[in-house]
This record gives sequence, C-alpha cells and structure tokens, in this order.
Amino acid sequence: MAQMIANAIRQAGTNFVESLALFLPRVVTTLAIIIVGWLIAMLIRTLVRGLAGWLRINVAAERFGVAPLLRTADLPPADALLGAIVFWLVWLGFLLSGIDVLGFTSLQGLLASFWAFVPRLVLGLAIFVIGFVVANFAWRATLLAAVNARVPSPRLLSGAVRWLVLILTGAMALEQIAVARSVVLTAFAIAFGALSLAVAIAFGIGGGGIAKRILEHQFPEQQQSSADEISHL
Amino acid sequence: MAQDSVLSDELLHHLMAVGHVDVLVGVPTLNNAGTIRLVVKAVHQAFARYFPRDRTVLINSDGGSNDGTPNLVRNASADDTETLTVSHSLRTVHRISTPYHGVPGKGNALRQIMTAAELTQARAVAVLNADVSSITPEGIASLVRPVRDQQYDYVAPVYRRHPLEGPLVTQLIRPLMRAAYGWQIREPLAPEFGCSNRFVTHCLEQDVWDSELGRVGIDLWVTGEALAGSFRCCQTGVSPHPATSSRTPFGELFGQIVSTAFACLERHATYWIGRNGSESLPLTTPLPSSSVEAPATDGSRLTEAFARDLQNLQSVLEPILSQDTLTSLTRLAEKQGSHIRYHDDLWVATVYEFLLAYQRGVMRREHIVQALAPLYLGRTGSFLRQYSSAPEAEVDEALESLSREFERLKPDLIQHWHRSPR
Repeated sequence: MAQMIANAIRQAGTNFVESLALFLPRVVTTLAIIIVGWLIAMLIRTLVRGLAGWLRINVAAERFGVAPLLRTADLPPADALLGAIVFWLVWLGFLLSGIDVLGFTSLQGLLASFWAFVPRLVLGLAIFVIGFVVANFAWRATLLAAVNARVPSPRLLSGAVRWLVLILTGAMALEQIAVARSVVLTAFAIAFGALSLAVAIAFGIGGGGIAKRILEHQFPEQQQSSADEISHL
Repeated sequence: MAQDSVLSDELLHHLMAVGHVDVLVGVPTLNNAGTIRLVVKAVHQAFARYFPRDRTVLINSDGGSNDGTPNLVRNASADDTETLTVSHSLRTVHRISTPYHGVPGKGNALRQIMTAAELTQARAVAVLNADVSSITPEGIASLVRPVRDQQYDYVAPVYRRHPLEGPLVTQLIRPLMRAAYGWQIREPLAPEFGCSNRFVTHCLEQDVWDSELGRVGIDLWVTGEALAGSFRCCQTGVSPHPATSSRTPFGELFGQIVSTAFACLERHATYWIGRNGSESLPLTTPLPSSSVEAPATDGSRLTEAFARDLQNLQSVLEPILSQDTLTSLTRLAEKQGSHIRYHDDLWVATVYEFLLAYQRGVMRREHIVQALAPLYLGRTGSFLRQYSSAPEAEVDEALESLSREFERLKPDLIQHWHRSPR
C-alpha cells in the first residue's frame, strides 16, 4: 500500500518535472518574445515620432484644431500620441504572440482575433480623425461665414454643424470597429432622429422670428448689413 | 511660346496688321455695356488730343460679356468720339475687341493685353477700368505721358477722395503696403495704371498668371511687382475717385483683397524685409481740385457689432493672435459701442499678427483672412466715430500717423517673420 502511494507520488513528481521541463522553455520563449517585442515596439515608437516630427504632424494638428482638443483632454501632443498608439499595437501583438506560445487552449485563437481586429481599429481611428478634422473645418467655416454675414447665433449654428459631423463620423467609426454594432446603430438612429425632430419642432415653433431674420439677411435689396453701408474701396 | 496660347490666331493677325505702336491702351471688360462707350470715347479723345502723331491702339479684352460690350467697342462710331475733340489724330486709330481664353477674371485679360503690348513693342501702356464713367482723356494722358516722355516704368493713379472714404484702402492696404515696401503709394488697389514695355515683359515672365493671385488679385500684385522690382515708379492725379458699380458682397471683397495683399507680401518678403522707413513717389500730375463729400455714416453700427463678433470668434482668434493682443481686444469689446477706441498700435499689432499667422498657416488661410474682417470693421467703425466730424486735414494727419505706426512696428514683424516656421 505504502509502496503504491510512494510510486504514485514519485510518478506525479516525475510528471511534474517533465511538464516543468516542457513548460519552462515556453515561459522563457514567451518572456523573450515580450521583452524583444517591447524593445522593437519602443524602437518603432521612436521611429514613428521622428517621422511624425519630420512630417510636422504637430503643426498639422494645431492647424486642424486637433491639438487644442488633445490639450483639453490632457493627452500628449499628436506625435507622441501617434507613437504611443503604434507602440501599444505592436507590443500587444508581441504580447499575444508570447501568450500563444504558452499553449493555453482557452487563449488559442486570441492572436488571430487580435490581428483581424487591428485593421478595423486602425480604419475606425482613421475615420474618427478625418471626421474630427472635417468637423473642425466645418465648424470654423460656418462660424466665420455666419459672423461675416450677420446671421444670428453663429456659435450655436457652427456648434450644431460640428456635433452633427462628429456624431456621424463617430457612429461610422464604431460601426467599422464593430463594437456593439447593433447597440451603436440603434442608439445613433434614435439620437439622430430625436435631434432632427427636436430641432425641427424648436425652429418651427420657437424660431419663427430667427428664421425671418435669417431670410431677410439673404436679401440685401431689402436689408443692408452694417458692413455694406459704406464703400470700402 | 506663351504668346501662342494667350493670343488667338485672329488677334495675332490683327496685331500683325497694326505693327509696332507707341501707345497701347488696354480695357479689360466683362458686362460693362453701361459704361464702355464713355471709356472708348475718352480713349479716342486722348489719342486725338494728346498723341496725334503716335501710333496708337485700343485693345478691349473681354471675358465673355453677354450684354453686347464687345459690339459696343467695335461699333463706337468715329463721329461719336471725334466730334468733341479739338484736334484729330494724324494716324489711324486701331481698335481691337477680342475675347480672352481661360478662366474668367481680370488676370487673363491683363495677360492678353500685356502680351499684345509686348508683341507690338508698345512704348507706353495704359490699362483702364471699364467699370467707371468718370475717366477723362486728361486722366488717360497722365497715365501714358510719364512712361512715354519721362521713362517711368510704372504710373499709379492718385484719386481725389475724402480721407474717410475707402477704409479698406486707408486703414489696411495703403499703410501695410507703405510700411512693407517702403514706398508711399496712395492707391495700391487701383485698377488703372500706366507702364513701360520693360515692366510688361517683367510681369509676363512671372508665374502668377495661372494662380489664384492672377485670377482675383492682379491689380495689387501689379503694384507690388512694380514696387519690389527695380522699376522707376511715380504717381499721377487722374480724376475724382470713381464710383464703381461692383456688387461683390463685403465678405468676399475683403477676403479677395486681404488674401492678395498677404500673398504679395509673402512673395516679395526678400525685398521688403530689408527696407526701413518709406519714401514718397514723384507726383507727375497734380490732383484735380474738385471737392469731395465725406461718407454719410458715422460707423456706430460697426462698433456695436464689434463686441459681439469678437466674443463669437474668440476660439478662432486664439491661435492667431498673441495673448496680449487678444486680451486688449477683449477689454476693448467690453466697452459700450460709443466708447470703443481701437487705437493705432493695437490695430497694427492685430494686422501684423494676422499676417504672421497667414505665413505660418496656423489654420486654413482663407479662414485667417475671414477672421480679420470683423476686427477691420471694428477698427473702421472706431475711426469713423472719432473723425466723422473732423476737418479733412485732421483726418489726413490721423491716417499719416497710422502709416507711421505701421512703419514703427515693422521690426517686430520682421523679427517674428524670421522665427516663423515655413
């Protein structure tokens, strides 16, 4: 009996040692992949930041109004943010590759899913960044045109244009990333429909006077703006 | 050759028939049926009275008028023009009306006229504004004579106008151009000018004709090119300031003119950065002594809108203006409309900071220029309120003081210009 127990313990020990002998190299490989991946990700981040600096990404971010938003959100400058995003994407890839080497069945396929997700994430981010730039451009153009044309409430008008573009591109970006697709679609449809209806009702019932003034401003024969009352040349 | 694409076969044929000329007068037109007969008449009278022994040609470059302007030029009868002249031209007066090709705009018309002037080796060229009826034969002669007789290369007109008239010229473009280029030119935006064949050749060699500058801002560019080049420039009194029939809305007009001025300054930076102070230009013909009326407005509506506009545009102005300037403007806007005094130093700082923002491209350039419009209106309103009942001499002195302020602060502009990333 005691002999049997001793054999079982010895066998378990042998199995453990064998498993450990098999597993330890994998752990070492995983650690090596993670460390090398980290170094490579750091190197790529430095290269991306250098390239972004050369392409004057920060100047472009300032010009398109992205930089003030980053400052407000307490985020790093555009070149550093771009470098950080690339760093995390690359290192996360190495991290998942390392974990894959360990051979945990429950984590099998995670790497494939991640790499399938990355293009969608990048595309979603690109849509959002482009949408943000377009929204900012549309906001500024609307604001300046409205101020110079003496349209009432120019900030309200330009703000509405900006948020409309942001909501639209935000929904498109989330749709691309496929995060809770049905929830996003439903929420967007409800929010957009409600917003349009609210604006229509508010403008129709409460904004008759404003509409009248706006229309009057479009007919210079009927009403001359203060800027046009003198000959500037 | 560039001539092949600018001049049609028909025009080339006409010009070859004309041969070499002494005086060429060019009139760019686009739907000017209401005024063109008077302009053509004045040109013919000028040819007959002042250049009877010269070989002369009138070239009308039309941008596709649909009101019969080219026909009016072609059919302007000799009787119609010559019955009023005392003397008659001893040579044939050639008159050519031709459409120009390409994008509609004065640039293409001017390019065609200049190309024709180069081809005919015209000694003196005058370009007229077809949009006015106040042009006189004496005015045309005063644009041509300094080139023909005194070897000037560029003749700018000086109009008799009230100093409160034309604030876009007097408050912004004139002092800015004077401080930058170092020449005291009074009408940098004038659509009329006289020039030599040397200047014509120089202009045709430049690469602006197919650009935005060539499309909308050619008058100012021509002035800048004359001042920045090694050309002999002068001014001449032509007539009272013409009342143009332009219906361009203020915002569009302001954008076009200020964009052109900033683009010219950027283009000619290597010239004006080395200039200090300013010199007067010779006046070859004195100003007509006709009286002019002050504008009817006192600018009160402009200053009232200023505070509201500044508040609305705060976030747009932040990346353009320095903190000091923005704070000063915000304090100014907090006052009642009638108490707003937009002083010279603040206005000059505003303009220079906008120019630097334009150069750096802190945002889309057309937005930068549009953002300056409400501030310009505020400054104009403030100036009009302050001087609406002042005598002309006092207003003239105030404008001179503004120009000197532009000159005084120019070193700051140059310092920041060098620091600006290109």
